[in-house]
Amino acid sequence: MDNLFLPRLARIALVRDETPDTKTFGLRFRDPVDQRDFRFLPGQFLELSVFGFGEAPFCFASSPTRPELVEVTVRRTGQLTDALHTLGPGDEVGLRGPCGNGFDLPSAQGKDLLFIGGGIGLPPLRGLIWNVLDERERFGRVTIMYGAKTPADLVYKDELQEWAARGDVELLVTVDRSNNGWTGNVGMVPTLFDKTELRPKTTLSYVCGPPVMIKFVVQDLLMRGFADDAIISTLERMMQCGVGKCNHCAIGHRYVCRDGPVFTFRQIKELVE
Amino acid sequence: MDSVLTTCPFCACGCSLYVQASNGRPTGVAPSENHPVSRGRLCARGWNAHEAPAWGDRLTRPLVRRGGRLEPTSWENALELARASLTTLIEAGKDVGVLGSARATNEENYLAVRLARGALRTGSVDSFLRATYQPLVDGIVAVANGRAPAGTLADVEASDFILVLEGDLANTHPQAAHAVIKAVKAGARLVTVGCARTQLARLAALHLPALPGERGFLVAGLVAAAVAEPEPAGSPERPLPGFEALRGSVAALPVSEQLRQVARWLAQATRAGILVGPDGGPPERLVREGTAIATLAAVTGHLGRPGSALLPLPARGNLRGACEMGVMPHLLPGTIPLTEATAGARLARVWGRAPASALGLTAAGMPGRVAGLVVHAEDVPAVAPTGQDVLEALGQTECLVVLDAFLTPTARAAHVVLPVASFAEGEGTITSLEGRVQRVRPAARPPGEARHGWRALSELSAALGLPFPYRSANDVLREIGEVVPAYAAVADGTRDEAWGTFTSPPSDDREPTLRPLAADRVVAALPAVLALEGVFDWGSDPLVSLSPTLCRDHVSRRKLYPQGLVQMSRRDADGLGVRHGWSVRLASAHGEVALPIVLCNELEPGVLLVPYAFRERVAGVLGGRSEVPVTAEKVQ
Amino acid sequence: MANEARTISKRDVAGWLAALMRRAEVIAPVAAHGGDVAFAAISSPEQVVFDFQNSLHPPKQFVLPQTDPLVVIRRNGNGIELEPVRDAHPRVIFNLRSCDARSLAFLYRMHASDLPDGAYLARAENVTLVSLACTVPCELGFCTCCDAGPFLKEGTDVQLTDLGEHLLAEPGTDKGLAMLSEAGDLFRPARPDEERRRLELEEAAKRAFGAETCHFASAMRRVSTGRVPEELWGTMSDWCLECGGCNFVCPTCYCFSVKDMKQDGSWVRCRTWDSCQYQAFTLEASGHNPRERRADRIKRRFFHKVSAQYYLRDGTVGCVGCGRCVRVCLGTTDMPAVVEAIRKGAWNG
Ligand SMILES: Cc1cc2nc3c(=O)[nH]c(=O)nc-3n(C[C@H](O)[C@H](O)[C@H](O)COP(=O)(O)OP(=O)(O)OC[C@H]3O[C@@H](n4cnc5c(N)ncnc54)[C@H](O)[C@@H]3O)c2cc1C
Ligand code: SF4
Ligand code: SF4
Ligand code: FES
Repeated sequence: MDNLFLPRLARIALVRDETPDTKTFGLRFRDPVDQRDFRFLPGQFLELSVFGFGEAPFCFASSPTRPELVEVTVRRTGQLTDALHTLGPGDEVGLRGPCGNGFDLPSAQGKDLLFIGGGIGLPPLRGLIWNVLDERERFGRVTIMYGAKTPADLVYKDELQEWAARGDVELLVTVDRSNNGWTGNVGMVPTLFDKTELRPKTTLSYVCGPPVMIKFVVQDLLMRGFADDAIISTLERMMQCGVGKCNHCAIGHRYVCRDGPVFTFRQIKELVE
Repeated sequence: MDSVLTTCPFCACGCSLYVQASNGRPTGVAPSENHPVSRGRLCARGWNAHEAPAWGDRLTRPLVRRGGRLEPTSWENALELARASLTTLIEAGKDVGVLGSARATNEENYLAVRLARGALRTGSVDSFLRATYQPLVDGIVAVANGRAPAGTLADVEASDFILVLEGDLANTHPQAAHAVIKAVKAGARLVTVGCARTQLARLAALHLPALPGERGFLVAGLVAAAVAEPEPAGSPERPLPGFEALRGSVAALPVSEQLRQVARWLAQATRAGILVGPDGGPPERLVREGTAIATLAAVTGHLGRPGSALLPLPARGNLRGACEMGVMPHLLPGTIPLTEATAGARLARVWGRAPASALGLTAAGMPGRVAGLVVHAEDVPAVAPTGQDVLEALGQTECLVVLDAFLTPTARAAHVVLPVASFAEGEGTITSLEGRVQRVRPAARPPGEARHGWRALSELSAALGLPFPYRSANDVLREIGEVVPAYAAVADGTRDEAWGTFTSPPSDDREPTLRPLAADRVVAALPAVLALEGVFDWGSDPLVSLSPTLCRDHVSRRKLYPQGLVQMSRRDADGLGVRHGWSVRLASAHGEVALPIVLCNELEPGVLLVPYAFRERVAGVLGGRSEVPVTAEKVQ
Repeated sequence: MANEARTISKRDVAGWLAALMRRAEVIAPVAAHGGDVAFAAISSPEQVVFDFQNSLHPPKQFVLPQTDPLVVIRRNGNGIELEPVRDAHPRVIFNLRSCDARSLAFLYRMHASDLPDGAYLARAENVTLVSLACTVPCELGFCTCCDAGPFLKEGTDVQLTDLGEHLLAEPGTDKGLAMLSEAGDLFRPARPDEERRRLELEEAAKRAFGAETCHFASAMRRVSTGRVPEELWGTMSDWCLECGGCNFVCPTCYCFSVKDMKQDGSWVRCRTWDSCQYQAFTLEASGHNPRERRADRIKRRFFHKVSAQYYLRDGTVGCVGCGRCVRVCLGTTDMPAVVEAIRKGAWNG
C-alpha cells in the first residue's frame, strides 16, 4: 500500500514575479511518466514540498487544458514560502496531489460564468478561467471581476490585458487605493457589480479571496438574486496532510481538504464550526 | 525505544516526565503517574519537551571565531583559545564575568561559580532572572528568619484559602495553576491580585486589581486590614516581636471593605496557600514586597504553619537552584554572605583555593562592562531586561565564551563556543520552586562532540589553572553537599528510585521578626500606566523557540506584530476612539513610541501592557523603569 | 471462535512469551519508575506485569509514535532522493486492556477509510493483539458505556482471562488462532468449567461497574444538534489549561502535523502528534484563526469525539472509556465531566 505522504519530485521550470511578494512557479515532474499521467481539476490543490521546510497547500493556478507545466502562484508569508521564493529554475521540489474536490465544470456547461477574485484569490480562478476559455464554446457569457489593494498588487498583469483584449470575455478590474498612472476603477470589489449587467438566474458565480471580501461579495450576490447553490467559493483552512487524516482542516462533519476546498454557499452555511 | 525518567526542563513546578528516544534521538514524552508533583499531568511545554533537543539547531562541535566567522575546531584548541584570551584580559587588569542560568543544572551553576570565584577570581557571577526572584526571597527571609519558601503544591491543593499574586500562572506555572484549580473545585476560596483578570482571576471568589508595581502596596493594605482587626483570629498567641511598630507603620494606609474581607478570610483559613508570581521592578521594591507578603502570612498565623504554603515562583526552571548554588554577585553558594569566614574557608578547602570574595557585577551590569565573559546555557538577549539591545553591548566583549546546546544568538556572537548536552542528554539535578531537588537523566547521547555541561565547565576551569576531581555529575553534587548546607543530604537522596529530595531547611525555630512596612505607591499620576507584561518570555527560550509545536503562537505573534504591540482594555480603546490593530502613540517623561493595540478584556482600564517579548520597543518610554505614567493618543 | 478457547498454566506463560519474542518485538506493560506502569518492548518475559492499573500512556505509541518518520529526504548532488519509510516489523502487544484493543481497531479504521494511509497500515497490520480482559473494573474507566470492555467480543486477536492458576485464551481472529496453534502444547483446550468461569467473571465485572457511567447518547444528541449553550463552552474553557494531555493519552486521538527534521545532513519528514486544544492547531499563516478562543476548541474536541466521529465515519464514539483523560487533565475538563455538563446544561467546576 502506498505511503500517502510520499511526494513526487519536480523541477522548477520557470519563475515569474507577479507582485513584490508574489511569484508564479512553473513546475515539471522529474519523471516524464509522472508528467504525462498527472491529472487534476481546477480548484484542486497540491501539497508542495520545499525540502527541509516541510509542505504547504497551494491551488493549481494553471489549467488542466495546458498540461506542459503545473503552475502555482505563491505569496511570501512565512518559513516555507520564504524558502520557496529563494528557489529558481532547476531547483527540486516535491508535489503531492491533486488534493480536494475541485470545481464541478460539467455542471456549469451552458451557463453564464462570473468569476470574482480578490488579491491572492485569483490563482485558483485563473486555472478555472483558462480551462473555460480553452473550451469557450461550452459556456455562456464570461465575466471576470478582480480587485487588489493597489495596482502593484495585481497578479497576472499580462493575462489581464490578454483577457481584456478578447471579445468573448468581460473583464472588470478595480483597486482599493490608486496611485499615479492608474486610470481604472477605484473601490472595493462589490462596486464592480453596478458596472455590468448580471443575470442571476442563469449565472454561476465563483468567488475566491480574503475572508472579508468573500463575506461582502456573497452578501451582495444574494441581494442581487443569486441562489445559494449558484455561489461557489473555496475555503481556506490550516492544512497539514491534505488527505483527510490530520484533522487540522476539519469543520463540522467535513474535511476541507477532502470535501472541499470548493463549496457552494449552501454547503458553507451548513458547516458548524 | 528507550524511556528515561527525567525532570521537566521548563518552569519551576518540578514535574517529572519520561523522555523517550529511539536511535539516540528524543522522540516523545510520557507522563509519570506516581510522581508526587505532576501525578501524570503535564502542561503543553512538558508534553513537547523532547522537541527542541531533537529539532533544534544543535551545536555539535566546538567553534572559534576566525576572521569574523565561527569555524569548527577541536576541544583542545577551543579551550586553549578561551584560556589564553581570558588570561590576557585578567593580566591586563580588565574585568571578567560569568553568567549562570536557570536553564542549567545545579551542578553546572555551581561550577559556574567555581569558575568565577575560583578560577577567574572574580565576584562577577550572576544570572539575569535572579533579579525577579531572589529579592522577593530576601524580603521573605527577613521576616521569616528560617528558610523562606515553605510548603508544596500539594499543600496548595489541599488548602481552604489561596492568595495568588499573579503572574499569569496558567501560562507561567501551569502545574501550580492546576493545584489552585483543583483546590477551587474542592471548595477553596481563591483571591487573585494583579493588573489583569487572568484565567485564575475568573475562577476567584474575589479579584483585587493592583496597578503594575503596586502588588507590595496592596499586600501592605491587607496587612493593615489584618492588624486592625480587634483580635486577629488565628493569630499567634502572644504578639510577635515588632508588632506595634508594624501596626504603626501601616496605620495610615487606606483599608477598603474588600481588603478587610480578604484579611478575614486569610486569618480564618485553616490552611492557606500564598503563591507569589515573579515580579519586575527595582530589587529594593521587591524586597519590600517580599517583606509585606511574609508579614501578612505572619500576622494571620500562616507563616510556618504546617499545611500552609508561602511559595515565591521562580520565573524559569532552575532559578531557585541557580541562586542557591551561589550564582549571585553578593552571596556565596548556600546564600551565605561574602564575608562569612567559615563558608569561605570551607570553599577554600574543597576547591584548594580561596574564593574571590569581592562583590561583583550583576548580570545586567556585565554586558559592555566586562572584557571577558563566560556564558553558560543562557541566551542573553532572551533574558536581559534590555532585550535585543543587549547584543550591541555584548558585541564589545573582547572574549565571549559560550557554552550551550543550541546555536543561540548569543552563541553566534561568541569568540569561543563549547557544545554541551541539552537537558535530554544531560545529567545533574535541578531544584523546583518547592525546593525539591530532582535528577535530570540522559535519555539520548549528546550529539557529535558535545560534552556534558559539568565536564565542559570543569575543563574550562582546569585550563585556567583550577583542576577538578569530578568523574560524574554526582561527584559535583556531593561537593555541593559539602559547601551548601541545605544540600548536605541531597546527593544520596536523589538516587535512582526516589522522586527527588527536599533541600533540608537549617533547623531554625526562631519566631518571625516583624518590621515596619514601607509601602510604595509607584505611580500616582494617571491617566495610564505603561508596564511590561511578565518578566520572562517563553517564546525566546530556546527550548520553546526551537520546538516546532511550541513556537507557533510566538512566531505568529512576532510575524503579525513585527513592531511590537500594546494591550489595552476595551474601555480605554473606546475612550481613545481606536480599534483592535490601530496604532496609538504613548508618551512618557522619557520618550514616546507608536504601537498597534491589541484589545485585552482581561486588563484593568488605565493599564497598558506590552508583552515582555517586545520590551525593546518601549525601552525609550520606560526609561529604565518597570512602569511609567503615560499619555496615549490615537495615531491619525 | 469461542469454542476454540484454550488454557495455559501461568507457569508456562514465560515460555510462551519467550517463543513470541523470537518471532516479534513483544510490547507489554512493565514496571517503570516508582510504581509507574508503562508499555515497553520487553527484553525478558519476567518483566511483564499481569496485575496492574492500565498505563496512563497508551500503547498507541507503538503504531503511531509521537514522532513518526514518513519519508527520508536526501540530497544527491543537485537533486533530491526520497525514500518512503515502511515499518512492517512484527510486533505483539501483550496484556493490553480491552479498551486499548478496541482503540487500536478504531485507529485502524480511521487510517484505512477513505484514502488508506499505507505507512500507518503497514505498522498496524503487523501487530498482533493479545488483550487481557478486565475482571475488576479500573477506578476511572467507563468502557461499558462505549462498548469497549470489560471483556471483548471482537477487535482483539487473542483475549486472555485470568482464572487464577491459568489463563484462558480465546482467539478472536484467524491470526490469533494461528498464534495459539503455534504455541503447541503450552495450551490445552479449555474445559467447560473454565469457560463457565470466564462468563461468570465477565458478568461480575459488568455488575461491578454499577450505574457509574458516562451517558454519551444524550450528550451526543445535544452536541450534534447544536443544543449546547455557547456560554457553557466558555465557562468550561476557564477550567482547561490547554495542555493537550487529553489528546496525547487518548487512545483514539490521532491528530498530527507534518514537518521535516534535520538528521545528519539529510531530513526525515515526520508525522508528529498535535493537539486540537492548542491555539496554533488551526492558525493560518495570515494570523487568521477560526478557533482562536479556547471555548471553540473544547467544543470542537467534543464535537469530533462524540458527534462527527460517530455519524460520519464510524458509528461509534471516539472514546473507549479508558478514563485516561480524567487522570491526565491539568484542568478539570475531562470527558465524563464535560459529558455530564452537556447533559445537565450546567458546569460545576
Ligand atoms: C487549499 C489551500 C490553497 C492555498 N492556495 C494558496 C495559493 O495558491 N497561493 C498562496 O500563496 N497561498 C495559498 N494557500 C495558503 C498557503 O498554504 C500558506 O500561505 C502557506 O502554508 C504558508 O506557509 P509558510 O510556511 O510560508 O508560513 P508559516 O506561517 O511559516 O507556516 C505556516 C504553516 O502552516 C501550514 N499551513 C497549512 N495550511 C495553511 C493555511 N491555510 N494558512 C496558513 N498556514 C497553513 C503550512 O504548511 C506551514 O507549515 C493555500 C492554502 C490552502 C489551505
Ligand atoms: S508545569 Fe512546568 S514543570 Fe510541569 S510540565 Fe509544565 S513547564 Fe514542565
Ligand atoms: S487535558 Fe484537560 S487541561 Fe489539558 S487540554 Fe485537555 S481538557 Fe484542557
Ligand atoms: S489537511 Fe489533514 S485532514 Fe485536512
